[in-house]
Amino acid sequence: MTEPFFDLAVAAASFFAGLLGALIGLGGGIIVTPLLVLGFGIDIRYAMGAALCSVIATSSGAAAAYLRDGISNMQIGMFLCIATTIGAVCGALLAVVLDQSVLAIIFGVALLVTVILSLRKKSEALVTVEDSDPLAARLRLPGEFPGPSGPVRYGVVGLVPGFAVMWVAGVLSGLLGIGSGAFKVLAMDQIMRLPFKVTTATSNFMIGVTAAASVGIYLKKGYLDPALVAPVALGVLAGAFAGAKLLTVAPVKLLRVIFLVAVSIIAVQMIAQGLGISLS
Amino acid sequence: MNRLTSLLAQVMLTGTLIAAAIIAAGLVWYLSAHLGQSPGDHIFRGEPRFLESPVAMVRHIFALNEVGHRRSLVMFGIFLLLLNPLLRVGLAGLGYLLEKDRLFAGISAIVFAVLLVSFFW
Repeated sequence: MTEPFFDLAVAAASFFAGLLGALIGLGGGIIVTPLLVLGFGIDIRYAMGAALCSVIATSSGAAAAYLRDGISNMQIGMFLCIATTIGAVCGALLAVVLDQSVLAIIFGVALLVTVILSLRKKSEALVTVEDSDPLAARLRLPGEFPGPSGPVRYGVVGLVPGFAVMWVAGVLSGLLGIGSGAFKVLAMDQIMRLPFKVTTATSNFMIGVTAAASVGIYLKKGYLDPALVAPVALGVLAGAFAGAKLLTVAPVKLLRVIFLVAVSIIAVQMIAQGLGISLS
Repeated sequence: MNRLTSLLAQVMLTGTLIAAAIIAAGLVWYLSAHLGQSPGDHIFRGEPRFLESPVAMVRHIFALNEVGHRRSLVMFGIFLLLLNPLLRVGLAGLGYLLEKDRLFAGISAIVFAVLLVSFFW
């Protein structure tokens, strides 16, 4: 395919990935990379670089909306960003030494885990402020968010294991060029027991900051081809925006089932491609 | 904190839109000079050195007789996009400092330092 049709096709696929990501809550970065690698035959390193930039774009847009609504907990986000940014630097340094077939396999596995994580039930019970971790209380992490009948106050537990899982989420982000939102949500939702709304909002704030910690290394290693990053970032950004608007009217439950199956198949194909390259 | 968060939200949103506009303009400009060519993303070659530093990028945008100045404009837009989280952390840290919240000013400073090191080492 020649220009400009190649870039137009890439932009269309990225739009689709961003739309899907917003609709089923997976995030565009982890969907767009396999599309670029399997569908367009693009080297996984360029694909990861472009996806990581798209992650930063969508996170900045989404986090701005949440921040304005007063749902995200900036204190928790900033504190956990210490773990995710350091993890992201480690992950990016690991990515530049690993073979691209190994990256494809790890990517496929991470994608499967992400699908499984998104199927799990959300915990509903809140932790009261009094039951908070002493360390979390000292750091003044418990907060509140605007509920239907006034502000809802919530506590924070499991700060140390949560911090550790956040480091892993950061490593995955830098290693694979993804936002790793699913893993951040896992840490905040399951381990630190934050309300789901706060988790989603805060994770959006963190995703961009985490991604920024590895993108500098990607830039230096030549992973960012502007002619690819541009259509991908613009496509995913527009798709995510459209998806957020559609979210209220689309049959989300049905879409989720269909696309989670599709994404699982893509994940297996990524693993197969990685194995195929290493075998030949 | 409320005024700070709404300022922060404003900066994040406007910054993203400005960056996206520059990227879009740069892409059209770039593609108009590369019509009918095949993209080369199938094989990894890395990127030229002038795309690695912001100063070199800006210099390249205006170096009209050099190869790659159109790509440099796209890259400059992308660089602005990538600067957004850095700005986000920096502004938050500044806000904490103004509130005399030394603990969180310190935490923001740590995150900011990690980002700076990863960007500019």
